[in-house]
Order: sequence, then C-alpha cells, then structure tokens
Amino acid sequence: MRENREVGRACAELDRWMERYQQADPEAPAVLVSALSPALLRFFRSQSATPGQAEDLLQDTWLRIHRVRHTYRPGEPVLPWIYALARRVRVDGYLRGRRIDSHETAMEVLPKRTAEGEPQHALPVFEVLVAALPEARREVITMLKVGGPSLEEVARTTSSTAGALKQKAHRGYDRLRKLLRSYVAAVGGGQ
Amino acid sequence: MNCRDINQAIVEGSASPLPPEAEEHLRTCARCRELVAALKLRAPADVPSPMVLREIEKGLVANLRPVRPIAPKRYIFVSMMAIFAVTAVLGLSRIGAFAIAAMTPLQMGAIFGALAISAGLLAYSLVNQMVPGSRYRVPLGRVPLVIMILLMVSVAVLFPFQEERSFWFSAWVCIRGGTPVAAFAAVPLWLVLRRGAILSPIMTGAATGLLAGLAGTTALEIHCPNLDAWHILASHLGVAVAAPWSVFLWGGSGNRKLILRP
Repeated sequence: MRENREVGRACAELDRWMERYQQADPEAPAVLVSALSPALLRFFRSQSATPGQAEDLLQDTWLRIHRVRHTYRPGEPVLPWIYALARRVRVDGYLRGRRIDSHETAMEVLPKRTAEGEPQHALPVFEVLVAALPEARREVITMLKVGGPSLEEVARTTSSTAGALKQKAHRGYDRLRKLLRSYVAAVGGGQ
Repeated sequence: MNCRDINQAIVEGSASPLPPEAEEHLRTCARCRELVAALKLRAPADVPSPMVLREIEKGLVANLRPVRPIAPKRYIFVSMMAIFAVTAVLGLSRIGAFAIAAMTPLQMGAIFGALAISAGLLAYSLVNQMVPGSRYRVPLGRVPLVIMILLMVSVAVLFPFQEERSFWFSAWVCIRGGTPVAAFAAVPLWLVLRRGAILSPIMTGAATGLLAGLAGTTALEIHCPNLDAWHILASHLGVAVAAPWSVFLWGGSGNRKLILRP
C-alpha cells in the first residue's frame, strides 16, 4: 500500500514529463518508460498474460502511446490516459487470438499455485486471487490495487463512472470473500 | 462497521492503510480478515527486462518530434455542433421547409429542443471518446440509448397518433430524403474524429452515426408537414436509428479486419 502511495505521488510529476514528451524533450521517453513500464507490465500480468505476452503488450502500448501522444491534454492526469491505451492494446491482443478463451471465463474455484519456489502462504497471492474473477471485475480490482490510480482515474480509464465502478468493485470483493472461504476450507481440509 | 464498509474502505483507500474502525471489524470477521490479508500478498513483482526497456526507449527517441496537443474540448464540441447544424440546413435547402407552418410553437420548441439536447449530448460524448481516459458522467454505452428514449417519448407526447392510408409510402419518401443528409454529415464528423485516438470503434461509430442521423432527422422535422406520431417515429427517427446501425456493422467488420491483420 505504501508502494501505491509513492506511485501516486510520482504520477503528479509524470504529468509534467508527458507534456515534455509532447514537446520532444529527449529525456522524457526514458523517464516515462522507466517509471510506468513496471506498473503496466504488472497490469498485463494480472490480466492473465504470460511474461512473454505481457512484454509484447508493453511494447505495443508504448508504440501506441507514441502514435497518439498528441491526444494527451496538458494538465489532465496522465495515468487514466495511459491505462486506457493499455487496456485497448490488451483487447486488441485478445482479438488477435493470442490469448486462450479459458483465461477470460470466470472460474468457480481458485487455481492452484504451480510456480516452484513461490513462498508458501496460507492464502493465495493477489494475482492468483483475482484471476478467479470475471474479466470486468478483475480489471477494476487490479487497477485499483496494482497500478496506483484512484477510483476516479480508473473510472476514466474504463470509460465508466465512479458509481458504476464502485458497484463492480464491491461485487468483486464479495466474490473474493466467497472464494477465499472455499480456499481456506480446502487448504484446511487438505492438511 | 460491516463487510460492506470494509469493501468501501478498500475501494476508496486502496492506496492508504485501513481506518482504525476497520481494524476493529477485522478482529471479529474472519471473511474480511482473510480478504484484507490476501490483498496484501503479492507474487514476486515482474520487472520488464532492461533490454526491452532500452529497445522501447530507443524506438521512441528515434521518432521523437514535437506534437501539438489536441484542440480543447469546447472547440471540438462547437465544430461537431456546427457540422450537425450546417448539414441539416444544407439538406433543408434541398428538400424545403414545410413543417414550420404545420406545427404549434410548443411542438416546435419541444421537438427542436429535444433534438438539440440529443445532438449536444452525443457531441459531448464523442469529444470525450476522442481522448483516452476522459471523464464520463454517463457510462459510454448508455448515451445513445438514453437519447433514443428521450426522442421517442418526446414524439409520442407531442404529436397525435393517427391512421394513415399511405403510411409506408410516405415513410419511404421521408427516409429517402433524410438518409443523404445523414450520410453527408457523417463525412466531416469522421474527419474531426480522426484527430483523436478512438479506443472503442464500435461505440464511437454508433455515436457518430446517431449524431449524423439526427442531422437527417432535424432536416425532416423542418421539412415534413406530416405530424402523425407513427410517421415521425418510423421514418424521421428511423433515419437516426438506421445510421448508427450501419456504422455499427461497419465498425464490426473493421474489427474483424483487425483480427485478420498479421
């Protein structure tokens, strides 16, 4: 959570770097890429992309950002602008058939952790947890948690309203509670 | 505090620690405790490889040149409304204005008010759709639906329902007169939209089609002296409804092409 707060503070400065990027400041691309890429990569990874796919989507996102950088309005928050483009890149990636259909469907049970060397917690990590949610709810919860944008910024990113988004998030968290209960019961029963 | 309040606290304060009242609830509620604990856990962070980042930076710097930011919202809004009004007037000059004398001042004021509000809402929605991450007061998909309901209710309230002998023939005459106006309005609207970054081609296409269609509807409302509500709903509003569907289908085919593109 502290990390998210820091990301939020850094975003205020990113707005200014974005303006400099529009003015062709040669330092701006490096600053923006290094500051935003980790969060973008995490966003793609949380949306069920493999590491390779996530890096491809990251590159596509920066290409698109570069192509439409004139559509950023100076003074506006940069994060919703960036995430809206990233979201579209992800959808296009899906449309091109790079992703498997089953990733998009809601699962009834939480997937088992398979990564070797992963720390053993009593609860699943956030990324595994949200993978069990339907796509729209997963996206909202992931952006709120992973990327650092505020509720209002996520609403802008998803072309929605803050009210509609809150409702989605509430339903998502309710579903997570149920999934966690069954997970804890299964783990408890298995031990 | 209850479980719903915990949801609220997580949603609104996802970037800050939970309030002390929440901690109290967590002590008694295992479900919320598990949820909050699970949200704190995270898989080892994926970091983009330095090579990929260098490649991206190199690509961006290589093609770097200054760009002029997109025009302010109000300019784009005004240009869209101007396109709407000018094409309706131009269309009218071709088909003539005969309805003004047939309508009462109330009917005129209300129907043209409804059309102007609808066009304004659509233009505002399109202005936002041109810039990714814009603020929306109404969810994007609902705008065309709300507008169509508003117009249909206005027509049903303002105009009488009558029986007409040559209903389909007169409807067809009006559709034939209004459709070219809508098609004519769509071209400059598309040219304006090209300045932005359209992220949802189908939604944007449908909104553009509806705005262009409304130009045709407005021209027909001023032109056609037939005040039968069935006639206005089927033919005048029919032009507005048909235009977004044609763009919607075109947008759909555009997306299919996108899938086939290597």
